[in-house]
Amino acid sequence: MNDVGGMQGFPPVPQEPDEPPFHADWEAHVFAINGALIGRGVYNLDEFRDAVERIPAQEYLASSYYERWLRGITMLLAERGIVTEEDLAGG
Amino acid sequence: MADLFRIGDRVRASRVDPPHHTRLPRYARGAAGTVTDLLGRYPLPDRSARRLAAEPEPVYAVAFAARELFGEGDHTVTIDLWESYLQPAEAAEPRGTDTAAATSLPARLRRDAPRGRP
Repeated sequence: MNDVGGMQGFPPVPQEPDEPPFHADWEAHVFAINGALIGRGVYNLDEFRDAVERIPAQEYLASSYYERWLRGITMLLAERGIVTEEDLAGG
Repeated sequence: MADLFRIGDRVRASRVDPPHHTRLPRYARGAAGTVTDLLGRYPLPDRSARRLAAEPEPVYAVAFAARELFGEGDHTVTIDLWESYLQPAEAAEPRGTDTAAATSLPARLRRDAPRGRP
């Protein structure tokens, strides 16, 4: 799911005055983890964008911005054998 | 390799719908625009997203008329596009002109059709 520019049918984008960078601590953690993994060369920025675009459409549309980031990160880590489904389920 | 385009050049975006990641948005495929800035050289994301070797290539800011992209509107949309996505505007066939679209419509829907009532 990606490349929806110019597509009709979405609700208006919410406009938040003085929007904070993050709406919860976990979002900042996701942001930092992604930067660390890219910085260490585990994957590159384009692979990350590609992973987010590969999230199944229904899940993508039902997810918030940083939920998509987290899903992209875990997809890449699982694909590279760095984490397993059990690791992720164990919290 | 020297850059293919300069500021002010007319360019046309590729029509290709690739089966992988790309930074060329769907709504700009086949559209013609004008190079407004040179943004440096970067690896083609279509290749680096697949872990393929990607030599840095020129990236251009290309301004498109909203009318060219969406059929209406008076603003422009500027998109950062890699050289691989572009060719000289005159080398590619047009995306489909307003004239072609208009003539494929029934006469009653054409803008220039005589109106039955004021």
